[in-house]
Amino acid sequence: MEKQNHLLELCNVSVGFPKKGEKSQMNVVTHGVSFYVEQGEALGIVGESGSGKSVSMLAAAGLLGGGGKVVEGSIRFRHGEDSVALNTLTKKQMEGLLGDDIAMVFQEPMTSLNPVMTIGKQVEEMLELHTDIPKEERRERVLAMLGEVGLAEPAALYGKYPHQLSGGMRQRAMIAMAMILRPRLLIADEPTTALDVTIQAKILELLKKFQTEYKTTIILISHDLGVIRSVCGRAVVMCGGEVVEQGDVKTLFEQPQMDYTKRLLAAALGKGSLLKKAEIANRNETVVRARDYSVFYEEKTAGKKIKREVVKNVSFELYAGEIVGVVGESGCGKSTLAKALAGLNPLTGGSVDISCSQPQMVFQDPYGSLNPAKTIGWLLTEPLRLHRVGTKQQQREAACEMLEKVGLERDYYGRYPSTLSGGQRQRVAIAMAIMLKRKFILLDEPVSALDVTVQEQILILLVRLQKEFGLTYLFISHDMNVIHRICDRVFVMYQGEIVERGEAEEVFQNPQHAYTKKLLAARL
Amino acid sequence: MRYYMKKIISLIMVLFLIMLLTFIAFQVIPGDSAASRLGVDAEPEAVEALRESLGLNKSLPERFFSFLGGAVRGDFGNSYQYSRPVREMLAARLPVTVGLAVISILMIVVLSVPLGLLCSRKEGGVADRVITMVTQTLMAVPAFFLGIVITLIFGLALKWFVPGAYVAPEEDFGGFLRYMIFPAVAIAVPKIAMTVKFLKTSVLRELKLDYVRTARSKGNSERAILWKHVLKNALIPVITFMGMVIADVLAGSIVVEKVFNLPGVGRLLITAISNRDYPVVEAGVVYIASVVLIVNFIVDLLYQKVDPRVRIK
Repeated sequence: MEKQNHLLELCNVSVGFPKKGEKSQMNVVTHGVSFYVEQGEALGIVGESGSGKSVSMLAAAGLLGGGGKVVEGSIRFRHGEDSVALNTLTKKQMEGLLGDDIAMVFQEPMTSLNPVMTIGKQVEEMLELHTDIPKEERRERVLAMLGEVGLAEPAALYGKYPHQLSGGMRQRAMIAMAMILRPRLLIADEPTTALDVTIQAKILELLKKFQTEYKTTIILISHDLGVIRSVCGRAVVMCGGEVVEQGDVKTLFEQPQMDYTKRLLAAALGKGSLLKKAEIANRNETVVRARDYSVFYEEKTAGKKIKREVVKNVSFELYAGEIVGVVGESGCGKSTLAKALAGLNPLTGGSVDISCSQPQMVFQDPYGSLNPAKTIGWLLTEPLRLHRVGTKQQQREAACEMLEKVGLERDYYGRYPSTLSGGQRQRVAIAMAIMLKRKFILLDEPVSALDVTVQEQILILLVRLQKEFGLTYLFISHDMNVIHRICDRVFVMYQGEIVERGEAEEVFQNPQHAYTKKLLAARL
Repeated sequence: MRYYMKKIISLIMVLFLIMLLTFIAFQVIPGDSAASRLGVDAEPEAVEALRESLGLNKSLPERFFSFLGGAVRGDFGNSYQYSRPVREMLAARLPVTVGLAVISILMIVVLSVPLGLLCSRKEGGVADRVITMVTQTLMAVPAFFLGIVITLIFGLALKWFVPGAYVAPEEDFGGFLRYMIFPAVAIAVPKIAMTVKFLKTSVLRELKLDYVRTARSKGNSERAILWKHVLKNALIPVITFMGMVIADVLAGSIVVEKVFNLPGVGRLLITAISNRDYPVVEAGVVYIASVVLIVNFIVDLLYQKVDPRVRIK
């Protein structure tokens, strides 16, 4: 190892995965990646999906799935006086290091924890695997650690299962698991991406605390520059499997050298200015009028049906040609409201008048919401078939035209969703929603699953389509920046109620409600 | 606790419905059982007398409740053909079928899990390819043919057992077990093949999930990942499948009983059906339905045990 204080050093690392069909050929996804992390520092790796940031770290930890491996270069890890080349270790040697010296925290704490094993057991497993601590003492250690990550009542939590915890609690448990052996290197892969903004800040604080208290070296992988800035001193920017820029976070933010970094910055900081919208809002024409509107869910607990009020007595109007944002954290009822307005939940109270029948909806996850067994053309013509609009030929023509309108080629008609990228799929989902030419479209987190640069393109597309077709959007998002950029008016939802509403500019400049202030403050 | 009470009550209600349906079905079947017993040439007076003695002259509800009352006590009346209590006949046959079922279920459980794990651990490896090929073949082999092959190889060629010479458990329990192993293999092998395939698919699906990566990142060995983390998750769908298999095996295999000359429930039923021995058939239907329901009930309980997400608070 070149420098004494480099804990981990990647030198010219290329990672490849076997090609489908031809297993002997490798599909190289990162090209000569080189960077290091010093002992005790927090390094950020930033980039969009597919940039190779996660793959590089999984390669370091020997956790590449699907037959992937390091085809070139070396990954060295300082171990005592010496350094070891992680990519040449045997499985057994690697198992000894993992968990003990190198620990990891992953993005989605629900799926990253074993659903049928208690939280306590999962944390304790670390001690079982790497220490000789007797059983009774192990339990004590686990309880202490759960307390240390800020979980209340560790003793009760010990016997609980992951699904019984909230997202934030699960991620704390995950961190407790990773940190219980005081590893020298903690790799956190998008640790807060699946969490609400207010919880995100707390989790990041926790990571910082461990870095200062235990001198743990942290590598934080994120697509979000804000997250990187709040924790890391230095950062590596990756794009297309290569390192495009690295250096001080402060310098990167103030004087980004590369175009890609500048684009990322612009999108992340929400400085990407307000989108230019056509002023087509007409406050004299009401599209939706809700009065004391409530939405319920039926829950079955112990065999008893309980009606739970998720949206509580909200009243509002949406006018023609408006984009109205609904913002709030998960569980606040914003998606439930949208689904009820789209007619997908019949359990409602109060009254609502919608001027157009069957408003269409666009969902968050473009991977899950398109039927993988059908072609794009079939999906696009389905609403026309259901409503018997036009002949087969006309339906086909309408679908192809719509593909062009959303910025896709006509020959996407015969393709399957699996051959499309996330952004392309979301374009298809949007095309599907406007096929029937309904004037009112509900957008439920339409850009949350997308990379920032793709987000930008989709937002621009939405604004263009709105003008072209004279649409009214109800735009649901947890992301304050996105809401700020696209919406005319904003509703802030909290625990099923609209706690604040107003012109977007006003709400963002001068928030009144404490919760709105909290949301705005949590923006990194 | 209330959950279990509810489950048990619904179990009883379904059983009641099955008895009702069984009873009605045998009323709807054309032909008078008294007349069919005595044959077409019988004197009308004789038929009438038999109807009287069988209780066929009473009203429908009356007959249903006497049927139900008997069924609850395990009394299904006398066999038309043998004039012996059905209960006795069934009781004599049950140990054979249940014994056969228990041995084959043990084989299924003990062999399927390690084989399934072995296949998925080295997917595409030699062991996996061999096991997959063998299981594919065995799945396609009908049970009676497998029975014949087993009789030929182990009975006639190797002389490990005497084909057709069934040993009753009360005479020689060891001999009974030794004889039963062969029909049990005939039943178990195709089911093992199915379970292995099912478990392999389930394990491979689990191995792709995030929590497995987490387990690896903790420094677990591949073996520990499979046994400690994946198996319990992978078994969740397999339990349902196993429940169906077990119910199926307990219902008795007519073909295997015939090939190995076992006096089991399956053969009793097939004879009774061809002879229109309705009390025996009724008892058989109630027995099979009860087995299926009770096994399903146990599967539900197991589910609760294995998967905390469906556990009732």
